[in-house]
Amino acid sequence: MTTEELDPLIHAPTRLKIVATLAALPDGDALSFTRLQDMLELTPGNLIIQLRKLEEAGYLSSKKTRTGPTQKTTVTLTPQGRTALAAYTKALRNLLSGLNLDGEAEPDTDYVAS
Amino acid sequence: MSHTSGTVTAGHDGDFNPRQAADLLDQATVQARRTFTPFTPALLAFRAVLVLVVFGGCWLSVRGQRPYHGPTGASGGIVLLITVVLVTINIGCTAALIGRAGTGVSGPAQRKWRVWLGVMLVAWIAAYAALAPGFHAEITHPVWGLYPASGPLLIIGLVGVVTAAALRDWRIAGFCLAFAAVAAAAGFGGPADEWLIMAIGLCAVMLGAAGLTAWAQRRGVVRP
Repeated sequence: MTTEELDPLIHAPTRLKIVATLAALPDGDALSFTRLQDMLELTPGNLIIQLRKLEEAGYLSSKKTRTGPTQKTTVTLTPQGRTALAAYTKALRNLLSGLNLDGEAEPDTDYVAS
Repeated sequence: MSHTSGTVTAGHDGDFNPRQAADLLDQATVQARRTFTPFTPALLAFRAVLVLVVFGGCWLSVRGQRPYHGPTGASGGIVLLITVVLVTINIGCTAALIGRAGTGVSGPAQRKWRVWLGVMLVAWIAAYAALAPGFHAEITHPVWGLYPASGPLLIIGLVGVVTAAALRDWRIAGFCLAFAAVAAAAGFGGPADEWLIMAIGLCAVMLGAAGLTAWAQRRGVVRP
């Protein structure tokens, strides 16, 4: 098994943190954009770019609601996103079981994502 | 990407290897679980101390009473004062943690959680409000003596079990069942010793819940 089998949409630090954070919520629950931004300590621009990529893949859905003069955006991990994260986690486990977990050797460069 | 003080920081995607990804996934998951959990292990541990001090204090103040007339007098007053202080701290911390955990979160599970909180708030008020007529009528042991220590918490525990089961939250249902079981068992101890049974039993339930919560939060998804 190689990192090529790891979903490239999730296998990026920022997107992985986004998906892991949303997956910690119960199924169907949404998180506001501002709370997610605070939790991950990201700039709005960076977060928007990463969320858009995940939304285009169908891994999350966003909803905009307007209350008076303020607009609120919430994001939810879709069932497809949860399935993708579960598959990614399983692939990661399988990859790690093939590596030396004692830290005596660095992972093979074949495993490094491109 | 680097590892410092047990934390993982995200670097460029190009040097993001599986081991770092596993660390980051586990770390982000644990962090998110902690953030979204209102009843933290520390709060539950504090409640364990609270029930031990309050119920244990009541037991010390009623121990050896013949006939039993409840936690009254100077020692009863001290216990009441400590109870008010600890319960006030508990309510303040609980409200703050619930607010923090629920900030920015919406959806079906949040609505269920609010229903459960509302029902439990009514149950707490109603169960302890039921003490008032008893005090007013000056009912004494044995009818009255058993109620204050375990009666309200038995009612609250059972309401919690039914509500949590209806909302299919089996973890909270189990916790409330343990709560109610301790209160029911304490009734067999008699008016004085049921305070002690409540103190030890509820302390054990709270510590067990704190331990389970801590374990559930720290469990990694890649490396359980």
